[in-house]
Amino acid sequence: MRRGVLKFAPLAIGSLVVACMPLLVDDRYLLKVLSFVAINVVIVTGLALLFGYAGQISLGHAAFYGIGAYASGYATTTLGLPWIVGLIAAILLSALGGVLLALPSLRLKGHYLAMATLGFGEIMRIAFVEAQPITGGPDGLGSIPYPSIGSFEMSAPVGTYLLAWGAAGLTLLLATNIVRQRPGRAMRALHGSELGAMACGIDIVGLKVRVFTVSAVLAGVAGSLYAHLVGFVSPSTFSLHFSVILIAMAVLGGSGSLAGPFVATALLTLLPFADAIIPGLSRDALALIQDWEADVYGLIIILVMLFAPGGVAGMLRRRRRGAGVRP
Amino acid sequence: MGGSELLQFVISGLKNGSIYALVSLGFTIVYASTGVINFAQGEFYMLGGMFSVWAFATFGLPLWLAAIVGILLTAATGILFELLAIRPRKDGDQLSLIIITIGGSLLLSSLARHLFGPDELAIPAFTSGPSVRVFGAAIERQTLWIWGLTITAVVILNWVYNKTKLGRALRACAINRDAARLVGVDTRLIVTVSFALAAALGGLAGLSVAPLTQTAFDAGARVGVKGFAAAILGGLGNPIAAVAGGLMLGLIESMSIAYLSSTYKDAISLLVLLLVLFVRPQGLFSRSRREKV
Repeated sequence: MRRGVLKFAPLAIGSLVVACMPLLVDDRYLLKVLSFVAINVVIVTGLALLFGYAGQISLGHAAFYGIGAYASGYATTTLGLPWIVGLIAAILLSALGGVLLALPSLRLKGHYLAMATLGFGEIMRIAFVEAQPITGGPDGLGSIPYPSIGSFEMSAPVGTYLLAWGAAGLTLLLATNIVRQRPGRAMRALHGSELGAMACGIDIVGLKVRVFTVSAVLAGVAGSLYAHLVGFVSPSTFSLHFSVILIAMAVLGGSGSLAGPFVATALLTLLPFADAIIPGLSRDALALIQDWEADVYGLIIILVMLFAPGGVAGMLRRRRRGAGVRP
Repeated sequence: MGGSELLQFVISGLKNGSIYALVSLGFTIVYASTGVINFAQGEFYMLGGMFSVWAFATFGLPLWLAAIVGILLTAATGILFELLAIRPRKDGDQLSLIIITIGGSLLLSSLARHLFGPDELAIPAFTSGPSVRVFGAAIERQTLWIWGLTITAVVILNWVYNKTKLGRALRACAINRDAARLVGVDTRLIVTVSFALAAALGGLAGLSVAPLTQTAFDAGARVGVKGFAAAILGGLGNPIAAVAGGLMLGLIESMSIAYLSSTYKDAISLLVLLLVLFVRPQGLFSRSRREKV
């Protein structure tokens, strides 16, 4: 019992710190950067389910992010609908995209799946540029309002911060429930061996479609949050480059874990905004970091795959084992 | 549409198709020796153009020498990439290797941005002069160069594969790596050689098209996807099919420009890629294989 309480203590303290952050600091920039962390946590948690648990790669997650952002943006600006309708549109459309991509992808794996998702992502990016009446074309879609329910507006930075972290918390709760139960075990079996999982009576088709859809919906929700936080979306955000950065976060996080990808997402998202958490950082140092950002992401992917395939999750696991805490 | 106009589109399709064919050969060669798709293949195309521009503009080398330097440096990059990033992953786990090449692609393109800058660069055409006119259609001289170099590369590659000891080892590895190792083929060396060959072919494609379309640090991914589409159209692992797939994709693209609009050129080749992946992942010219435990 006491061990049980202790186990949840870090989680409770962490949540409390996150929730009280707007009371502790009065720094618009920092709160905005931390909101980006929360948004990326939502999307990378979805990717961790798909990639880290089920072993299915996606190079097209930027597209679902974009679908969510544009759906939400179009509904609230051009159509003038309330925020919640935009969010629901983002969820429905990204779910549709997830099912559409999942069905044919059932036959594909490894590099075929990687290329198919990459192709899907690039087609969607072209669609974002070409569908001018809806997306605003290369110029993008602007003046997207802050999220609001009735007359209650969640404005930046505090309102959007709390909303983003609320969404991240819910996502983590949902994902924890998924991986701790039957679907989680089925996903791990699928990761190990597809034929083996099938032989154990796991409905591979249904499982793949569901995990693809959940992952796509989380990306869509993140996209909607992003659109309302920034107030502006343009096609260049939803490029292959972003999909690869998401892969870098998932890879650094490690497979079969939610805590690892969470830590990795926080680290890699904060990297280009290092000045928000390191107060004394000079402008030159920040420019240097931002200039070498892409190189660092690429290098991290390679180094983790070569020398620490477990990623952050592997390190956390080893530490726990080293501390001698055995159930 | 008149006959000469149509011919013009066919010529342009075969020109781009030759480029895709070279890139797709690179995919095929690495796939044959490692069993994985090298997502950094497009970056070799980009590096071929960039290294040549650099040798030509910065060091003032004559164009032919700059081209050779471009190919050699790209091949060296391929070898380095294999030795540093692929070889240390000894178990050869496919998903891990795919992810490594994805990281490699990002790393190589951003290193190129640091080395050569963010701007678009170009080299002059290999021979100057007016276009050659055939049945009312114009063929740029550089297009003739591209065709000539592609044919030369394919012929040389064919000779290496069929007539040399190295080629026998490459083919043995493609059939069965473990069996090849058992009969004394140095499979690790073969993987390195295949990366060098793939990089050289990609580099050749990049520098021969550099006079026509400018090149930049981020040009690799787009061509990489098309090269893969070409490889998969023909069927992975078969060099002849890779070339056929490349030419076919080039023609499909240029016909889509002729009859639809140039806006959707890139989308069309992506749709071809998805269609082949979903309907016939083994390619048009191969029979399907079933997975066994």
